[in-house]
Amino acid sequence: MAEKPKVAIYWLASCAGCDEAIVDLNEAILTVADAVDIVLWPVALDFKYESIRKMKKGEITLAILHGSVRNSEQEEMAKLLREKSQLVLAFGACACFGGTAGLANFRSKEDIFNWVYQDAPTVVNPNKTRPQTETRVNGNKLTLPEFFERVHPLDDIINVDYYLPGCPPPAELIASAVFAVLEDKLPPRGATLAPSKPLCDACPRNQSKPQKIEISEFKRIHEVEAKDDLCFLAQGILCIGPAIRSGCGETCIRTNVPCRGCFGPVDGVDDAGAKFISGLASLISAESEDDSKKAVDEIADLAGYCYRFSLPSASLKRKKKKES
Amino acid sequence: MKEFTPKLVCFSCKFGWGYLNGNGYAKKLKNFIPVMCSGKVDTTHIMNAFKEGADGVLILGCPDKECHFQTGNYQARKRVLLLRKALKEFGIDPGRLKIEFNMDPEGARIPAVIEEMKKEIKSLGPLSPVV
Repeated sequence: MAEKPKVAIYWLASCAGCDEAIVDLNEAILTVADAVDIVLWPVALDFKYESIRKMKKGEITLAILHGSVRNSEQEEMAKLLREKSQLVLAFGACACFGGTAGLANFRSKEDIFNWVYQDAPTVVNPNKTRPQTETRVNGNKLTLPEFFERVHPLDDIINVDYYLPGCPPPAELIASAVFAVLEDKLPPRGATLAPSKPLCDACPRNQSKPQKIEISEFKRIHEVEAKDDLCFLAQGILCIGPAIRSGCGETCIRTNVPCRGCFGPVDGVDDAGAKFISGLASLISAESEDDSKKAVDEIADLAGYCYRFSLPSASLKRKKKKES
Repeated sequence: MKEFTPKLVCFSCKFGWGYLNGNGYAKKLKNFIPVMCSGKVDTTHIMNAFKEGADGVLILGCPDKECHFQTGNYQARKRVLLLRKALKEFGIDPGRLKIEFNMDPEGARIPAVIEEMKKEIKSLGPLSPVV
């Protein structure tokens, strides 16, 4: 009997929402479980790192890695799984772009440590203790992974074969991706396994878009009662949909909340946030310098909004860690 | 100690600045990029300039109501105002990105405008390397 392809699912700096999403395949997961041999899935199964280390190069058919990389253990596991796997899938916004926790890149490691271990109001740390990578306790050596200077998307650390964005990726796209691997019907390496058109193309509100969107005043989604049948931008509410890949099923839009960009940029674009800032300028209805300044000043946190899921892969502030 | 000479990238609208001179300044000045319209300058162009080592970026556009494409200069100005907000969060002083609306058909003033911005950038210091 032919051996079943081996699949590893591993969490890096992840919230485990992506593991949940895989479980959300419901009945479909039984078909997958029948067809593959899961060799690593910390949230669900009890395999040890040693069993992976003992494998031959390329023994694993598909490694599904979710979460970003912020410490040395995550880097080590990403590299280990890369070595043992034929295909690596960057699963979810964190692996693809750095994710929400990537907003930490607006601060230095020193700032973060000072806040977490010293300055935060509920911290009591009179000895100014900081986590160390190595400590001796009763003659025994205890170790902790090294905390990196910044959050990294997966392809900063290893070569990635395919990307599946989303926070988390929706069940349909997960199922298509896994079956594409099993049936060997994959696009060329480096592809993102989601539609290439922007969200506006699939948005249920796109028919309501006026010919020209003219924003004279910005409103924040929690400060108004947004209409549920009119384009958010036409209501003066920031929606990054025009710069973001579709494929999510527009769950946010359908719950009357604007897009926040978890699917990342469309094909051919590296930095969705930058592109959105460019496009947003043309939607602002102002000509004089004063009117322009007034409108722009109303936006509360432009960089945070535009880079909510993708700061680590923004064109500014990006430095690859891998040697190759 | 080596004196700091700021590196400036200048995107300059061909219609408003230097068109009578056949845009000859493009060849004489370093990192001087003539464009069809200041509105053509995209956020990614500006960000790439900073990423590649520019200490400052200057955009030269046409005066109010004088844009050959009607509103290109306004779009560029709005883009600059928005990008400044984002640059601040990235730790880049917003004063490093400037847009000037004026007209200079001979282009004679271009080197002086660039030198003036270089002086402003000098007081800000070199942009720390993008990490």
